[in-house]
Amino acid sequence: MISIILFILTILLAPLFSAIILKVKAFIGGKKGQPILINYYNLIKLFRDKSSVYSNSTTFVFRLGVIISFAVMVTVFMFFPFGGMKSIFYFNGDMIFLVYLMGLGRFFTIIAALDTGSSFEGMGASREAFFSILAELTLFLVFIFIYNTTGYLSFSKMLSITDNTNLWQMYGASLILVVIAVFLISLTENSRIPVDDPTTHLELTMIHEVMVLDHSGPELGFIHLGANMKLMFYSALIARLIIPFDLGNLVINVLVFYVIVALIYILIGIVESIMARFRFTKIPKYILTSFALAFFANIIVLGRLK
Amino acid sequence: MISLSHIMLSIILLSLIFALNSSRLKILITVMFLQGILVSIAPVFLGEEISTTFALFTVITLIVKGILIPLLLMNVLNKVKMKKEIEPIIGYNFSMFIALFIIVISAYLGNEIHFPVGGNLLGITAIATILAGMFLLVSRRKTITQIIGYLMMENGIYLIGITLSTKSRYIVEFGMLLDILVGVMIMVIVLQQINITFHNINSSKLKNLKE
Repeated sequence: MISIILFILTILLAPLFSAIILKVKAFIGGKKGQPILINYYNLIKLFRDKSSVYSNSTTFVFRLGVIISFAVMVTVFMFFPFGGMKSIFYFNGDMIFLVYLMGLGRFFTIIAALDTGSSFEGMGASREAFFSILAELTLFLVFIFIYNTTGYLSFSKMLSITDNTNLWQMYGASLILVVIAVFLISLTENSRIPVDDPTTHLELTMIHEVMVLDHSGPELGFIHLGANMKLMFYSALIARLIIPFDLGNLVINVLVFYVIVALIYILIGIVESIMARFRFTKIPKYILTSFALAFFANIIVLGRLK
Repeated sequence: MISLSHIMLSIILLSLIFALNSSRLKILITVMFLQGILVSIAPVFLGEEISTTFALFTVITLIVKGILIPLLLMNVLNKVKMKKEIEPIIGYNFSMFIALFIIVISAYLGNEIHFPVGGNLLGITAIATILAGMFLLVSRRKTITQIIGYLMMENGIYLIGITLSTKSRYIVEFGMLLDILVGVMIMVIVLQQINITFHNINSSKLKNLKE
């Protein structure tokens, strides 16, 4: 029951958290910034539209892309233990299922972008495919790391409060590396600044935004909500890695979890304010650095066990 | 349990990945600063009893390895006005995979061989540092990077020295330290001369030298 409430609450809170990044960026830039509820206003405006506009050149694949990629994110949320509570569904080995589910969502986003026949969207699709392949390497190594340390194959059991083994005490040094690695790929996967600029409006330089240019109305709303949820998923993963233990009380657990998620969003905002976007040729090196960190953490853990 | 020596050795291993991955010479020398300091104070954290001789040797090693040699390199870097290694023989992304491969291999070797002093992580770090230094030596064109590779190898040999014995290594190490210092000084002077003569510090130009 609690997990269902947390599931709904997190979906509802995801746009609010994304607005934190905007606020931090405005604050550092010395501006007042948009109101904190801006994402809700945008979503309400988009959902109020009667219907989306479809180009004559698109087929049913274009409409399918949005539905599947949003449905995938909702399914992924059902498997995630927010605040350390048990998730709604779980089975042994569900983490591989989740990664490929997100792969499926990405595939349909890409194929919908290709379906429009626009050359710019094709460029964005090709970049998205390339960078996310590299990011998947890191994600799998992080899962291998969590499996090595906790011994569970299920996403829910790994990250929820099942037993009180203190990961920080046992694997502190390598856990820092893993947290940094997940942070780096969360910036990649959510098209944040060192990799992709979410506010740019020049098609040549965009990755994710360029793929959704042709969407409108409620469909665009679902895409925005899905993107917010994806960022929430990665931040929640980092937050659970930072506090992998029980704090004693259910309310305190959930509150501390959301506070840490908010801190991660603030950190993303700071990174976005002080960094410029990388040149495209440098991005593979950036992602491979996160791969090296995760790989290294695994070596340390395995070396310790012997 | 988090032990300080483990964290230090992990940082040394990480510095290898950064050294092989970065194209900027300044970052490379900063890594050498860090590595020199960590390597020279490593014996303190490995639980040896602290005596006057031990403290003296550690401080001298720290001064030479951690401060003097990197300062010399930083100095020469400012003089030759080189910022980047432009065309390495082996590219940076591939070098990073090689760094990981080196660490895996040395983890395997370190678990096979039993070193008398220190845990197996110390052995792993020592072997990995030597191999990474060797790799840096053969895969880059600039002379200054090659000097850094050589120094990295020396750091590894010092770590190996720690693993083998506690008492007699001072004699060996002290002789070696002087050699290294003089060696680096000579290399720095040679490097400046190469820069004056050829207007860059690529070692490939040396192939053109004939009698």
